[in-house]
Amino acid sequence: MQVSLLIYQSPKGFAERDDPDQRATFWAERIPYYNAIRASGALAAAVALQPPETAVTLRLRNGQRIVEDGPYADTKEQLGGVLVLDVPDLAGAVDWMWRFPGLNTAVVELRPNLTPISSATAGPQKIDLEKAG
Amino acid sequence: MNYSIFIYETAEDFAKRSDPARSEAHFGGWMKYFEGLRAAGIMRGGSGLMPPDTATTVKLRSGQRLVEDGPYADTKEQLGGFFMIEVADLDAALDWAAKCPAAATGVLEIRPNLPPMKQD
Repeated sequence: MQVSLLIYQSPKGFAERDDPDQRATFWAERIPYYNAIRASGALAAAVALQPPETAVTLRLRNGQRIVEDGPYADTKEQLGGVLVLDVPDLAGAVDWMWRFPGLNTAVVELRPNLTPISSATAGPQKIDLEKAG
Repeated sequence: MNYSIFIYETAEDFAKRSDPARSEAHFGGWMKYFEGLRAAGIMRGGSGLMPPDTATTVKLRSGQRLVEDGPYADTKEQLGGFFMIEVADLDAALDWAAKCPAAATGVLEIRPNLPPMKQD
């Protein structure tokens, strides 16, 4: 089955991730985690988002666009990325959730996918660590 | 630029998925929309999500595992799916978001993606 892990980062998490001095430490924790998921064959797709202040929301009401700055959900932790996993069952996905390196400050939401990412799309944005390196 | 678009849907739109009288039209609209994105060559992935009542949320605080049923964000509209597109700029992303079937009833959040991670 395919599931999405929605990663809600704390303000501190975003600060570490995007601070030039702390970025390397942040990713040094994360990259082995993503590599382990990929080595297990469970990594279907992954995307990291620019911080919440870059978000824009759009509503169409009576044909008029209503555009607002900022994310939709007014939550303490904010969406920072999504991992899509191919796992045998929910328990397999939950195991990966507990292993998430930032879980002591982040919140991770698991949601089964309605449609597999591969069939819904032309080409999922995969983490290509060899190529990126 | 690469953008993620998060689709926050109303309870009514979630209900259409499993309503035999409305599901075909509902999913037909989405298929047509995604076909348009693919035809434009800008589709970079995406997934529909099962409804919010299937969500499980976990966190670790002071070494304790905390598990809750349901989605993290307690919002009126709830995340129903997301997709990524490669477009020139935010205006183009907004143009595509405005054509999304959920735009007239729900809320679309548009967020630029970080570049793919580097492995040092």
